[in-house]
Amino acid sequence: MRRDMGVVILIFTFAVIAIGLVALYSASYHNVRVSHKIFYDQVIFSVVGLFLLLYLSNLDYRKFYDLAYFFYGGSVILLILVLVSGRHALGAQRWFSIAGISFQPSEVAKLTLIFGLGRYFSDRRSSLSARPRSSLGVLWHDLFVPLLMTLVPMLLVFKQPDLGTSLLFFGIFIFMLFTSGLRYRYILGFLLLCLMMMPFGWHIIKPYQKDRLLVFLNPNIDPLGAGYTIIQSKIAVGSGRLWGKGWLSGTQNQLNFLPERHTDFIFSVIGEEWGLLGTLALVTCYGVVIYAGLKVAEHVKDRFGMQIAVGMTGIFSLQVLINIGMVLGMCPVVGITLPLVSYGRTSFLVSLFMIGILLNLSKRHTVF
Amino acid sequence: MRIKIIRVIIILGLLCLAADLVYTQGIRGSFYYHQSVNNRIRVIPLDGIRGRILDRNGVVLADNRLSFNVAMIPQDIKENDQVFHYLSQVLNVKKSKLFQQYSQKKHAPFAPVVVAEDVDKKVAMILEENKFRFPGLYVQEHSRRYYPMGSIGAHLIGQVGKINRTKMEKLKDYGYTPLSIVGYSGIEEYYDHYLKGKEGGLQIEVNSRGQQVRLLSMRDAESGEDVHLTIDARIQQIAQEALGNRKGAIVILDFDSGEILGMVSSPTYDPNIFVDHRLQGQISFAYSSPDAPLLNRAIQGQYPPGSVFKITLTVAALANKRISRHTTFNCPGYYTLGKRQFRCAHVHNAQNLIEAIAHSCNVYFFNTGLLIGPDQMYKYARLLGLGEVTHVDLPAEERGFLPSRRLRRIRNPTGWYKGDTLNYSIGQGEVLATPLQVARMTATVGRSGKEVQPFLIKKIGEQDIVQFSTVRLVNLAPEIFTIVQEGLKGAVKDPHGTARLLDMPGFKIFGKTGTAQSVPGKDEHAWFAGYSLEGKKRVSFCVFLEYGGSSYNAVVLTRELFQRLRIEDIL
Repeated sequence: MRRDMGVVILIFTFAVIAIGLVALYSASYHNVRVSHKIFYDQVIFSVVGLFLLLYLSNLDYRKFYDLAYFFYGGSVILLILVLVSGRHALGAQRWFSIAGISFQPSEVAKLTLIFGLGRYFSDRRSSLSARPRSSLGVLWHDLFVPLLMTLVPMLLVFKQPDLGTSLLFFGIFIFMLFTSGLRYRYILGFLLLCLMMMPFGWHIIKPYQKDRLLVFLNPNIDPLGAGYTIIQSKIAVGSGRLWGKGWLSGTQNQLNFLPERHTDFIFSVIGEEWGLLGTLALVTCYGVVIYAGLKVAEHVKDRFGMQIAVGMTGIFSLQVLINIGMVLGMCPVVGITLPLVSYGRTSFLVSLFMIGILLNLSKRHTVF
Repeated sequence: MRIKIIRVIIILGLLCLAADLVYTQGIRGSFYYHQSVNNRIRVIPLDGIRGRILDRNGVVLADNRLSFNVAMIPQDIKENDQVFHYLSQVLNVKKSKLFQQYSQKKHAPFAPVVVAEDVDKKVAMILEENKFRFPGLYVQEHSRRYYPMGSIGAHLIGQVGKINRTKMEKLKDYGYTPLSIVGYSGIEEYYDHYLKGKEGGLQIEVNSRGQQVRLLSMRDAESGEDVHLTIDARIQQIAQEALGNRKGAIVILDFDSGEILGMVSSPTYDPNIFVDHRLQGQISFAYSSPDAPLLNRAIQGQYPPGSVFKITLTVAALANKRISRHTTFNCPGYYTLGKRQFRCAHVHNAQNLIEAIAHSCNVYFFNTGLLIGPDQMYKYARLLGLGEVTHVDLPAEERGFLPSRRLRRIRNPTGWYKGDTLNYSIGQGEVLATPLQVARMTATVGRSGKEVQPFLIKKIGEQDIVQFSTVRLVNLAPEIFTIVQEGLKGAVKDPHGTARLLDMPGFKIFGKTGTAQSVPGKDEHAWFAGYSLEGKKRVSFCVFLEYGGSSYNAVVLTRELFQRLRIEDIL
């Protein structure tokens, strides 16, 4: 059963990558704004990624249990470093260069956070059965400690500033908290508290982030400024109609009306050139991968495996939902990539890494 | 279990996305499709050059000149402040004013914004030379209307302007766009359809920065057609100068064809004020002046014709056989009706019809009027073209007014009195006519009942305009007209004739004077209408002076006019 899931995940992952490469080819076709180099870049990374996938699926994933806190600590240090001496791009410090290859520590931090939380939650569970605790003790150990673990990288990423990714961290936390077995009342209470804190959040975000939120509510406030992207991407997607304008023939895409179309807004390229046919196909592929990922999580026998499977599928789905929702104007524009499709080496490899772990998990019957 | 909940939530989320995709791409797809087309396709209009207006000898009455506009393309402007600073120096306009204008008109990053219209050629050259320093700043070339004759005959030519909402509503089906330039009066308005060039355009595909990617299609602009008029520019000039500052109008028709050779109205205005922004300040004066300089008095001014109307009365009486040329009435200098005395200019004593016309004896025509009554007067005045538009090819022509017993009964509870008939007989009271109507009426009489159609158009483009049915026959016995013509000749030839000043060697002028009472306290309107049969051309004319005093003034003016025309070797 789980083995079948592994095959399903693999096939549909390939499908998503293929759709992504086709779209990326078009987004960078004969263009001065987006160099065609990025397409070949992505092709190379797809191949590299496949080896990574093979390697990971045959690894003993328990190794990650052992190294979880080490990875977690390392990525926090990287996040601090990038804040101190990172590369600037689009007004944010997100990149980091090691030996000529730049990468984005915040993407890696997603992964290490999942491992860290996975280990913490699975450790808690075993001690949970040993002796009963006061509710305050449960709250402290099962809610606040993991929350602190999440807040550290989250705030560091938020400082960059990267609102979208830092919110993803929070999403990871919620997913994994949910499956950690903490009682519903605590979880619901915590979520309500967060909801009440939201108005305070308004004061700590940057002006341009405020603009984006306002523009989300009404894109026509500033059609040539902050609202431009969202208006143009909606036009692009909608104008594809049922069958699309055809590959390399999307006018919104080819004539540069779409900003960021090779990264965050790649979905609008697919929508414009392939129409409803293409977008539904892509969403279906994602749906199958996510469904299979959760099935794997359900069948993994040990808690660490289950927790990281949930965390990875969760983050994967959140990215899909937020990214497509953002292109369609259903969510505010926050910089979140479309996994396996958007151009971006770190994000692409991290996504493949997660798929690899899921494949790995699907193979194991028992652990101990 | 908890994983299942997560699964349900995520699947629901994906279904929401799918639903929105169906809505956006499936249902609203065409809407977004059109938006994407509008996004990338721009139409750049190319003006068609407006046709010229020329007189019968090819003298240009309305021409086009090259003008330069300063425009800016917002997306290409780099340093706003520097550009405006530079512009304010070159154009000698305040920087803040320029900037205000710019930000008001700006509507899209790729659309040029005109910040200064019709700048000097020198300024245009300076800007053009410094073009490379300020990307996005450039000089547009335009053709702009220009009237070389200035205020001479302005009413007839009319002027152009940007299309307004009322005109747009009417004309949008005929290829006019909100940017069109249309004629607003005179020939410019009446023949706008021919004069107007066809606007062409480039349809281009642009990228997100508004830069041209490729040309999709192109339609050349077509120039409008030149319109040649029957007008003679020299006559216009002489007539306008003869009128000078006096209010009034002069109409000169070709006696044989109805071609309008001259038509001026005074006070006049310079049509260039409507097309040259440097003269714009004078527009409000043109509109608000109590002298109504924009009114073309020749076709829009309606005045009591005074004694000129006696011509139609004579025709009516003769046609009714109530009088003959030998019918004689005695003029004691006044006519008593009830307790009121209706005065005559002089004591003429016994007069026959010819003498009565020549001396313009009111008493004679009071008697005649009472013999035939107002209904017959109305009928024959209509027959000679009064009370109805002449259908000359100019917009907004007025029809004048002829009173009748029927109308009086409808409009006014008081009835028709004999006093009204007496007033009617001498063209007073409610009778109103335009100078053009009067000029045509005298031509009809002079041509023994063959009415001409006054018109201005001679040639459109290369096409000669043939006037169909230019002649209407007023079917009356020719003797009637012969008698009237004799009277009109008498006015000039008779030693006591009212227009004996015009008895000049080499001229053979027929005519009738008219002094029409105007509003109390103001001078009378002075008329002289008639026709001249000697010279290069036979013409029919009407000289009218608003509040010009006695008809003598009109006669003097006519004399000056004909002498000058003879000196200039036109008539």
